[in-house]
Amino acid sequence: MNQKTGLLLYIAIAAFIGIVIFPFLWILLASLKAPLYLYGEYAFSIKVPEYTLQNYISVFTNHPFGRYLLNSFTVGVLTMFLSISIAAFASYAVARLYFFGKTFFLGILLAVSMLPQIATLSPLFLFMQSIGLRNTYAGLVIPYTTYALPIAIWYMTTFFKQIPVELEEAAKVDGASLLGIFGRVLLPLVSPGLFTTAIIVFVDAWHEFLFALTINTKQSMMTVPVGIAMFQGEFTFPWGEISAATVTVTVPVVLLVLLFQRRIIAGLTSGAVKQ
Amino acid sequence: MPLKKKSKWKEGRAAYAMILPAVLIIAAVALWPLLRSFWISLFDLRLGDPTRNAIHYSYSMNVEQYADRFPGLLRAVKREAGNAGGGALSVLSAVEKKLDEVGGGLEDDRAFQERLTKVNGLLDAFSPVPQELRFIPVDNAKAERLKAELQEIRKELAGLKAAGSLERPDEVIGLTNAVLDTFQAPNFVGLSHYKDLMSGRRLWESLGNTMLFTVFAVALEMLLGLLIALLMNRTFRGRGLVRAAVLIPWATPTAVSAMIWHYLYDGQNGIVAKLLYEAGLISDMGTLLSSGSRVMGSVIMADVWKTAPFVALLLLAGLQNIPASLYEAAWVDGGGRWKQFLHVTVPLLKPAFFVALMFRTLDAFRVFDLIYVLTGGGPANSTESISIYAYKTMFSELDFGKGSALSVIVFVCVLLISMVYVKWLGADVVGRRAS
Repeated sequence: MNQKTGLLLYIAIAAFIGIVIFPFLWILLASLKAPLYLYGEYAFSIKVPEYTLQNYISVFTNHPFGRYLLNSFTVGVLTMFLSISIAAFASYAVARLYFFGKTFFLGILLAVSMLPQIATLSPLFLFMQSIGLRNTYAGLVIPYTTYALPIAIWYMTTFFKQIPVELEEAAKVDGASLLGIFGRVLLPLVSPGLFTTAIIVFVDAWHEFLFALTINTKQSMMTVPVGIAMFQGEFTFPWGEISAATVTVTVPVVLLVLLFQRRIIAGLTSGAVKQ
Repeated sequence: MPLKKKSKWKEGRAAYAMILPAVLIIAAVALWPLLRSFWISLFDLRLGDPTRNAIHYSYSMNVEQYADRFPGLLRAVKREAGNAGGGALSVLSAVEKKLDEVGGGLEDDRAFQERLTKVNGLLDAFSPVPQELRFIPVDNAKAERLKAELQEIRKELAGLKAAGSLERPDEVIGLTNAVLDTFQAPNFVGLSHYKDLMSGRRLWESLGNTMLFTVFAVALEMLLGLLIALLMNRTFRGRGLVRAAVLIPWATPTAVSAMIWHYLYDGQNGIVAKLLYEAGLISDMGTLLSSGSRVMGSVIMADVWKTAPFVALLLLAGLQNIPASLYEAAWVDGGGRWKQFLHVTVPLLKPAFFVALMFRTLDAFRVFDLIYVLTGGGPANSTESISIYAYKTMFSELDFGKGSALSVIVFVCVLLISMVYVKWLGADVVGRRAS
C-alpha cells in the first residue's frame, strides 16, 4: 500500500468514526452542561461557564428512571433465561437429530423472524388485558421470548454444528443417554455460544419499543426506551435530563458490547442477518 | 435393520420433545395472534364504546337495561292512552298490544325469563348486577323481528307526536329508543374495514411514506455499508477500534437514538440543524423537523446513521469469507484492483449482500420506533408510516377493528416483499440461512 492511499484510508476511517460517535459525544456534553447553557448563545459551544452532574441527579429524583432501569433489566434477564433454555433444546434437535418436518420447523422460524410485530399486537394486547397481564413483567417477557426464539435457535444451531460429532459418538459408545450427551457433553462445549446468544437476546429485549409502549403503560412498569420517549412534555423538551438519561442507558450496554465485541460480531454474522 | 429403525424412531421422538416448547410458544404467541388479527379486522371493535368493545357473533340483550326500561315504556304508553281520545286512543291501544307482544316474545324464552327474574331481584335490592349476568344471547331472527316491531312503534308514536295528541311525546319516544338500545347487534362487518381503508387517502399516503423511507434508507445503508465494509477489510492499525465503534449505534435502542437525533435536529439548539444551516443546505434551522418534505429526509438520515454500520459488519463477514487465494489468482492473471473487485468480490459477496438487503428491507418497511419518537408521524402525517397509522388507529382512536385491518395490511405487504425477494434470490440462499 503506498503512502498516499494509506493516508486517504485513514482520513476516510477517521471521518467515518467521527460521524458515528459524534452524536454520543455531543449528547454527553449536553448532559454535563448546566441546563441554562443548553439554550441560547451557549447552545453550540463546547466550553460553557458551568458543568454539572445536576441532570443525572434530576433524572433519578424527578423521574422514576431507576424504576425504568430495573424494569428493563428484569424483563431483559427473564427473557434471556427463558428463551435460552427453550432454544437450547430446540437447536440441539435441529443441529443433531433427525426428525420429520425439520425443514417446515425452520421455515416457520424464518417466517416468525420476518413477521411484523404489529400484525400480532391487537390480539396480544386484548389477551393480556383480559387475563390481567398488562403492566406486569410477564406481559412483556412472553412476547419478547417468542420473538427472540427464531434468532436464538438459529445462532445456537450454528454453535452446536461446530462441535465435532465424534465427541457425541464417543459418549454414546460409553453408554450415555441422549439427554446425558446433551447436558454433560454438549452444553458445556457450547456455553460460549450460549453466552453470545444470551447477550444478543438481552440487547434486543432492552431495545424493544412497540409492545412495551402498548402493554405496560403504567409509569411504574415502563421500560427505559418508553420512559425516555415519555420525558418530553407537551411543548417542552428537558434536553438536559433527556441527554443524561440517554447517556445512562447507553453506557452500560456499550460497555457490555465492547467487552464482548468479538463474540457478538461472530454471533451476529454467523446466524441470521437480523438486527 | 429393525434396530436402526427403532433408534431412528426414538431419535425422532426425542427431537419432537425438544422442539415442543418452542413450537408451542411460537404457535400461541405469534401464529395464533396473526390469524386472530385477521379475524378481529372483520369486526367493528372499538374499545371506547361499551356496546362494541367485544366481538359479538350474534344478537344479545342487556337484561339490566331491559328490566329498567321496558316496564317504564309500558307504563308511559298506558298513561298516554288514559289521557287520549278518539283516533289517538286506538293507535295507542294497538301500540300497547304490540309492546305486550314484544315483551311476551322475549319472556317466552325460559332462560331469558329466569335471568330477568334474577336481575329484577338484584335491582329491587339495590345491588349491582354483575357483568356476566348483564347480557344474554338472543336468537338473531327473533331479535331482528322484535327490533322491527319496536321501530314500527316508534314510527306510530312519532306520527301521534306530529298530530299533537301526546301529552309527553319525548318521554315515550325516548323510552322506545332506550329499549331499542338494549339490543346489542352483532358487530361483524366483513371486509368493510378494508374497503373503507382502500378508498381513503390516508392508507395510500402512509404506504407511500413507508415505501419512500424504505427505498432511500435501505439503498443508502447498503451503499454506505458496503463502502465501510470494504474500508474495514483492509489491514490497518486500529481496526479493532473501528469494529468496536461500529457496534455502538447497534447497541443504542432505536427509541433512544431517535431522541438523540431529535436533539441534534432541534430548530433552536440542534447542532446538526445549525451546521446544515451554516453550510447553506437549509434556509431555516427549524425545517429539519417541521417542513413536510425535509422531515422524511431527517428520518432517513437518522436511520442510516443507526443501521449502515451494522450492515457494514454483516458485509465485512461476507468479505472475510472470500479466500485470499482467489485474489492472488486474479492478481497473477494480471487483474488490477478494479478487476479483482469486479470478478472476485462482487460475485462472492452477492449472497451475503442480498440476504442483508432482504432483511433490511423487511425491517425498514415496518419502521415504528424511530418515527414515533422523532416526529410522531408529523408534521401533518407527512412521515406517517403504515405501522404508525395502525398504532394510532388502535391506541389513539381505540378502533381495534380498523387498526387490525391495517396491521394485516402491513403483514400482507411484508409477505409480498419477502416472496419477491425469495423468488429473486432463489430459494437456496434463504434456505441456507435457515439451516
